[in-house]
Amino acid sequence: MSDKTNIILDGKKIQAQSGETILDVARRNDIEIPTLCHDPRLKPFTSCYVCVVEVQGMRGLQPSCSTKITEGMKVTTNNSKVRKGRKTALDLMLSNHYADCAAPCKQTCPAGVDVQGYISHIDKGQYHEAVALIKDTNPLPAICGRICVRPCEVACRRNLLDEGAPVGIDYMKRFASDFDLESKDKWVPDLEKSTGKKVAIIGAGPGGLSAAFYLQKLGHQADIFESAPAAGGWLRYGIPEYRLPNDILQKEVDNITELGVNIFYNKKFGDNLSYADIKKDYDASILTIGSQKGTLIGCEGDDAENVFSGIDFLKEMEESGKPYDFTGKRVAVVGGGNTAMDCCRTSIRCGSTEVYVIYRRTEKEMPANPIEIHESKIEGVNYKLLTNPVRVNKDEEGKVKSVTCLKMELGEPDASGRRRPVPVDGSEFDLEVDYILAAIGQKTQVEFLDNINKITDEGELKLNRWGDIEADPETLQTGISSVFAAGDGVTGPSTVIAAIAQAKTAALSCNQYLNGAEITPPKKEFLSKKDNFKVQVSSEYEGCFPTQLREEMPVLDADNRVNFEEVELGYASEEVAKHEAQRCLECGCVKYFNCDLKDYATEYEVDQNKFAGDYNEYKVDFRHPFIEIDNNKCILCSRCIRICKEVVGADALGLVNRGFHTFVAPSMADRLQDSTCESCGLCISTCPTGAITENVIFKPGPIKTDKVKTICNYCSVGCEIILDHKSNFVMKVSGSEGKINPDGNLCRYPKFGFNYLNDHARITKPLLKEKGKFKEISFNKAYDIIIDKINQVNPDENAFFAGARLSNEEMYLIQKMARAGVKTNNITSLHYLNRGDGYTFNSRNNVPFDQIKGASKIYLLGSEINEDNAVVGFMINNAQHENNVPVELITTHEDSSMVRKVDNVMKITSYYHFIKAVNYYLVSNNFHNAMYISDNCDGYEEYKEELLKENFDELVRLSGVPFMDTVVEFAKSFNNEMNAIIVFSEKEISGNASYELFNLSMLTGKLGKTSNGLVSLKEKNNSQGLFDMGICPKLGVGTQPIDDPDLVKLMKKKWKVDELPTVINESQFEHLEEGDIKNLFFFGEDPLGTAKKAVRVAGWISVADFVVVQDAFMTKTASKADLILPSSFPTESGGSFTNSQKVYQEFEPVFVSEVDRLSHEQIADLMKKLGVKQKTNLDDIRVESMSLLSTVKENRLKFVYTHNDNYHRVFNNGCDSITKYFEDAFEKAFED
Amino acid sequence: MENTKIIVGLGSCGIAAGAKKVFDKIQDIQNENNLKFDLQKTSCIGMCYREPLVEIIDETGSYMYGEIDEKKATEIIEQHIFENKPIKDYVVKSDNFKTVDNTFIDDQVKITLRNCGYIDPENIEEYEARDGYRAIKKIAGQQVSRLDVIQTIIDSGLRGRGGGGFPTGLKWKFANNNKAEDKYIICNADEGDPGAFMDRSVLEGDPHAVIEGMIIGAYAMEATGGVIYCRAEYPLAIKRLEIALEQARAKGYLGKNILGIHGFNLDIYIKEGAGAFVCGEETALIASIEGERGMPRKRPPFPAASGLWKQPTNINNVETFANIPWILINGAGEYAKYGTEKSKGTKVFALAGKIVRSGLAEVPMGMSIKDVIFKIGGGIQNGKKFKAVQMGGPSGGCIPESLIDTIVDYDSVNATGAIMGSGGMVVMDEDTCMIDVAKFFLDFTEKESCGKCTFCRIGTKRMLEILNRITDGEGKEGDIERLEELAYQIKDSSLCGLGQTAPNPVLTTIKYFRHEYEAHINDKKCPAKACTKLLTYEIIPDACTGCTVCAKKCPTDAIDGGRKEVHFIRQEDCIQCGSCYTKCKFDAIKVY
Repeated sequence: MSDKTNIILDGKKIQAQSGETILDVARRNDIEIPTLCHDPRLKPFTSCYVCVVEVQGMRGLQPSCSTKITEGMKVTTNNSKVRKGRKTALDLMLSNHYADCAAPCKQTCPAGVDVQGYISHIDKGQYHEAVALIKDTNPLPAICGRICVRPCEVACRRNLLDEGAPVGIDYMKRFASDFDLESKDKWVPDLEKSTGKKVAIIGAGPGGLSAAFYLQKLGHQADIFESAPAAGGWLRYGIPEYRLPNDILQKEVDNITELGVNIFYNKKFGDNLSYADIKKDYDASILTIGSQKGTLIGCEGDDAENVFSGIDFLKEMEESGKPYDFTGKRVAVVGGGNTAMDCCRTSIRCGSTEVYVIYRRTEKEMPANPIEIHESKIEGVNYKLLTNPVRVNKDEEGKVKSVTCLKMELGEPDASGRRRPVPVDGSEFDLEVDYILAAIGQKTQVEFLDNINKITDEGELKLNRWGDIEADPETLQTGISSVFAAGDGVTGPSTVIAAIAQAKTAALSCNQYLNGAEITPPKKEFLSKKDNFKVQVSSEYEGCFPTQLREEMPVLDADNRVNFEEVELGYASEEVAKHEAQRCLECGCVKYFNCDLKDYATEYEVDQNKFAGDYNEYKVDFRHPFIEIDNNKCILCSRCIRICKEVVGADALGLVNRGFHTFVAPSMADRLQDSTCESCGLCISTCPTGAITENVIFKPGPIKTDKVKTICNYCSVGCEIILDHKSNFVMKVSGSEGKINPDGNLCRYPKFGFNYLNDHARITKPLLKEKGKFKEISFNKAYDIIIDKINQVNPDENAFFAGARLSNEEMYLIQKMARAGVKTNNITSLHYLNRGDGYTFNSRNNVPFDQIKGASKIYLLGSEINEDNAVVGFMINNAQHENNVPVELITTHEDSSMVRKVDNVMKITSYYHFIKAVNYYLVSNNFHNAMYISDNCDGYEEYKEELLKENFDELVRLSGVPFMDTVVEFAKSFNNEMNAIIVFSEKEISGNASYELFNLSMLTGKLGKTSNGLVSLKEKNNSQGLFDMGICPKLGVGTQPIDDPDLVKLMKKKWKVDELPTVINESQFEHLEEGDIKNLFFFGEDPLGTAKKAVRVAGWISVADFVVVQDAFMTKTASKADLILPSSFPTESGGSFTNSQKVYQEFEPVFVSEVDRLSHEQIADLMKKLGVKQKTNLDDIRVESMSLLSTVKENRLKFVYTHNDNYHRVFNNGCDSITKYFEDAFEKAFED
Repeated sequence: MENTKIIVGLGSCGIAAGAKKVFDKIQDIQNENNLKFDLQKTSCIGMCYREPLVEIIDETGSYMYGEIDEKKATEIIEQHIFENKPIKDYVVKSDNFKTVDNTFIDDQVKITLRNCGYIDPENIEEYEARDGYRAIKKIAGQQVSRLDVIQTIIDSGLRGRGGGGFPTGLKWKFANNNKAEDKYIICNADEGDPGAFMDRSVLEGDPHAVIEGMIIGAYAMEATGGVIYCRAEYPLAIKRLEIALEQARAKGYLGKNILGIHGFNLDIYIKEGAGAFVCGEETALIASIEGERGMPRKRPPFPAASGLWKQPTNINNVETFANIPWILINGAGEYAKYGTEKSKGTKVFALAGKIVRSGLAEVPMGMSIKDVIFKIGGGIQNGKKFKAVQMGGPSGGCIPESLIDTIVDYDSVNATGAIMGSGGMVVMDEDTCMIDVAKFFLDFTEKESCGKCTFCRIGTKRMLEILNRITDGEGKEGDIERLEELAYQIKDSSLCGLGQTAPNPVLTTIKYFRHEYEAHINDKKCPAKACTKLLTYEIIPDACTGCTVCAKKCPTDAIDGGRKEVHFIRQEDCIQCGSCYTKCKFDAIKVY
């Protein structure tokens, strides 16, 4: 049978591998087929039916994810039937998707400002980032932060929880933008390359300024023509200064002109600026002319003196720079909008003590912001509600004397939905006033119309039936193709934010025009909305979120408001803003930017209401400390369930119920943490929607993040990871398709153990202890103190300790400093302290991880692999699940968590004696593989001689096996197994037991064969690097004996030193115990914090004269040090780690360091002071360390006989404070 | 009297009708009077509508008494046993004379049900006495080869009786072709169609026939393990199967080197299913046996290649297995004598609904539906008019009166849009609303969907919502088209038979009764007057006596009128509960 199959895919002949699915083949051939339930890590499942295709000769549509290709198959992946099938599947799914893609605040905002996103930035103190995000859609945040009408806050769901007190969305916006405006490094957008195109913008109001901002950003030259002598339009000439100070306005205008936008003042379009000039000089234009002309009351007598339109009143004052004098005068303001509020509150400031607002409906119907009404009342404004002026009465001079009003009552709702006011018969009354300000609307002034239409030959600029400019509602292109319009001039009087929104639309359309592209509105994004299902009610939120009082805006004392000083004072501090940010309920989905379901719904133009009907509603489950389950968003693809079973083997999730009411739930438990969940987060990694996400301690946004790759620095497996961050704040970690983890699988350590990267408690400067307290000192001072201390003692009175989490480059320099600079071989790692040398070679000839699946049987020897090295655990589980490979656990644990995941468990009491007994049996019965041994190994005869001196029965007894036969059976079956792999962990297996395991693998001839032999697992990300880099008194780089004459010669040459230490004190442990060490240097280790016996370590430290610690945090050890050097993170320094299989992986620096000198640079600095020159470029360090390997001699495998077990662990957590930090936090998180 | 046998039918149907009490009564009488007759148990003979059934066999012949209670039991013992005078009025079937029920029996051909109601299912000897285990003995004795066994089944033309209708012999051949160390044979006894109970009856009445069928199948395909997947709701069937398996093991029909066939080792165990309808689907059934949630998976691979524990697996239905021993004894030709060109043998139908004789009937393929319903089933209850018959359960469809001459074979029934299925026949009369019927079956499948596929999980739900809307009088223009569109998409895009066939009842009712849908949607009327929300109640002035009963019973006080005055229903307040209609003694309420 041929292993190739020919198919016709979308009319193209394609040869593919037999056994592949249609989806596999299509993807490889770059044919996009959507799918939600498929994950290449898992077996095909087929539930979503989004991946359907048509196959000639087969009934219905075929799910491509599970349909295997057959010879001659003709497949169509994209025709109307297929698209319709996919669309209906999505329509149906989303008809039962009670969830919001975007928060109501964002959806309600005319400009679509990403409120939840900027609140997330504020939560992290990222104010510039917040401003940058706001300016994506609104370039005037400091202005809007003061005067916006805030539909977002009306829509805010906080209202439902803390009645009537929405999140302070606008106040926070103001806080962030004021912070940015006042800072030295305010945010400035990147401008695209200049296009050479020019756009004329008529009017420097909010619309004009915004359009200019976006056009300039896109690389066009935006020039604004403004009729007034200053910019801002209504912002300046309408809104009074007590609400919007001119200096704030000017700063935001300046921000825009600083991008290169020109504003030409006193240029009135149609007057001293002709369309002919514009047409000549510009490629396009945007009319943002506003709605300028005020309307009067429209009743008898409104021509009386002292009757003005409110806007003229406000404008006149700004132009003249002088307030009216209303002292002792009575003022009536007609209208209920924000202009009315500006008028009445301004009148008070002009000295009037009797100001009336006349409005024909009730306060509830008033369009003005509630806060404005509230403030006006505080300031003493009187309200005449349900009142309508019908006549202005003049005195003999033609001045206003009084206004005759009618009382009104509310009738049936009108077209706007508001109840129509109806006059009450015989309710007429007179109100005596001196001034009447009519704030009831404006008209657009279009005197330039003829001027344009006369000159243009590309169409006609028309007005609509309200007298405003007619423009395409979606693109805002007018009847003249090069002319666009936006703002009040198009819509009639509206809000600032609406004008800004339109301006962006017009600018984008104009950009399309300038680029010669078709002018189309952006594709409508699909948004699932809870409101499509039901009106939101308080009970849904009460009890789910804590109540929290709104941070109120500090304001000027009401008695103090006789001037035009800004009334609202802004939040007092960052803390206030951050505290208010906590009130955000995060209504929008955290998967907004990367939800497959949403993307497909947009692509297939899904209508959520098409199949509206019954829907399921679930409470979001936040109870697991790291994993959040929102069943409302679940589409039942079961990927979470399957990955938990097929890859993790935890089987912690399952389906409950049948049919429409099916849902995902923890298996046999109410809470996920009470199930068999291992908290690896692979469920999150596979969820195609936002149903399973990270439960984080910060506001996750969603915000768009940057992604960087690095290598995990927890265990020795060496997974590649992706950090999702914004400005160095890591939001999320996911698996990369790395060398070790090609499937992108990760365990809980990198997935949830990243908070240390965001920790503000980090040490960033050298600290010297004086009188028991640390104080910051310069690096140079720190170096001098250290050198001085080194010089005061004999070289071997110094001891250097390098941690297993450090990079190879750091390790190399530390040992070089000790040897070449300080002239001592007292260099080791506490991680391996006093644990013998059995670990030195145990990564040799290991089975590569990717051969695990080829095993015929896997033995787990003392490895709680699902906790300590889970990604290898996944590989084993997958082999077990996919290929039915039996897994046997041999453990000394009474309650190993692996028991339920394996096929067989053998409980013993000593790994060392068990393996030794097995070896004894094999050797004594001559079951050894003589040919393999003679070809590859030395020392068999000696080993045999020594071993057979021991007593087999005694070994068996000490091993603690349940039956004598157990050892024999194991020995036989292991020996006979075709592909047997023993996976063991240094955490449990002693150095000498490791030697015996190697002896076993050699005896059976398995070491180094495909899918056969040993997998040793070290504890830390760079445990292996310690040996490779010579962090050992007797070993140099490449685990060469440090006294090897060839190596010594080479080191002297490469290191340019005449002398190297010759004394080798093998046991640093004894040194420490005996108190021989005067100066202790700890690099990246926290012995005090992680010691099994802290008293012992405290003794070493107290005996020493001088203790230096290099670390990122104030660890227990650091707090006892005399001097602390701040260490950089691997993400800042870059470097390389060598994993437990000797796979060497380099990683780049991805974040700007918070420490001025990187860790390895500090060591190089010290070396220089010790007279050893050192390059600090990572590549140079690598080349240098590699050059020392040229003397490595070929090594045959060697049997090593060991006398005793030597399980002497001195430290937990790999002696690493960061590991300890996470392991402690992890444990604590699950305490009830 | 020593040669007289009294046999009481103790199938689930009989027990439900009170047969256990009757049996106990007879036993009491026997003990009290120290009578010598032989009191025996058997199972259902198919005349469920006459249960409890008591058969007396004496020198003169057999007399089957129907609808017997304790009192009647006493009577027949007194008269028939003591006085040798059979009570003819109670006899529903006899060798000696015809009864009204004769036509139920005469036109049946019993192959599958050959022993049901004739033997004590808990006694292996009785089975053996009626050719039981002769087929496997013949295979062992004559060293019939596996391929010959398979060829016989192929030649017989037997097709899968579970509903699929796939040729059984071919299925066995595939299973035989797939070589593996372990192979499984599974009996699908997860009978779940509402209104279908032939499998239960066979398991309760003749468990050894199924077991022997499985043994023969296991031999033919070299299966090493057998499983009977039986729903837990069939406790009596399970109990009898357990007894039967124990007896078969004791007699060496199960075990190692069965009947001396070297290397033929087989045991069968029972797996109780938890009652999910979808577990009748092969791959879901296998998942359930493996301890997983019963959810289907995509085929291929078919179970014949990779089934239980990923080994080649053959699954047949109870009824299919029960036929196997008969075919091997009587020969393929004998079996193929019955039936049509493409559908051979007999088929058991479960008659239910508005039919006079509800019960089990086994008929040769090729009989017309009309004959099954009218000749065997005795026609429609209460002399009403036949409207339609639902065949094939929730996966099937409705066959209208115009197609009543359709013959029962797989292809003819399929051509109508219905399916043969497992053999359920639910008969509807003129009072049945066809949308209500569609709703009933769709409601069943919607709830029984395993929830895996989007279309089946949500699509059927949405269809049901539309049907509910229509019967509630809120149907909208375009609803029929919406239903059809969704129905075809669900059929096109579902993984297993449940989803692929769930829309059938809706599609066939639309096909044959579109006018009823239109009446509901356009006129807001239910022609069958079954949808209460679409009814109008009105008082016929001439018939009203002013008794006030209707007004007193009206829960919404929607009826006006004083004593001895003509009453009047205020339509705006009427909730169409029908209480006035049922309470009026003068037929003065008009419903339309």
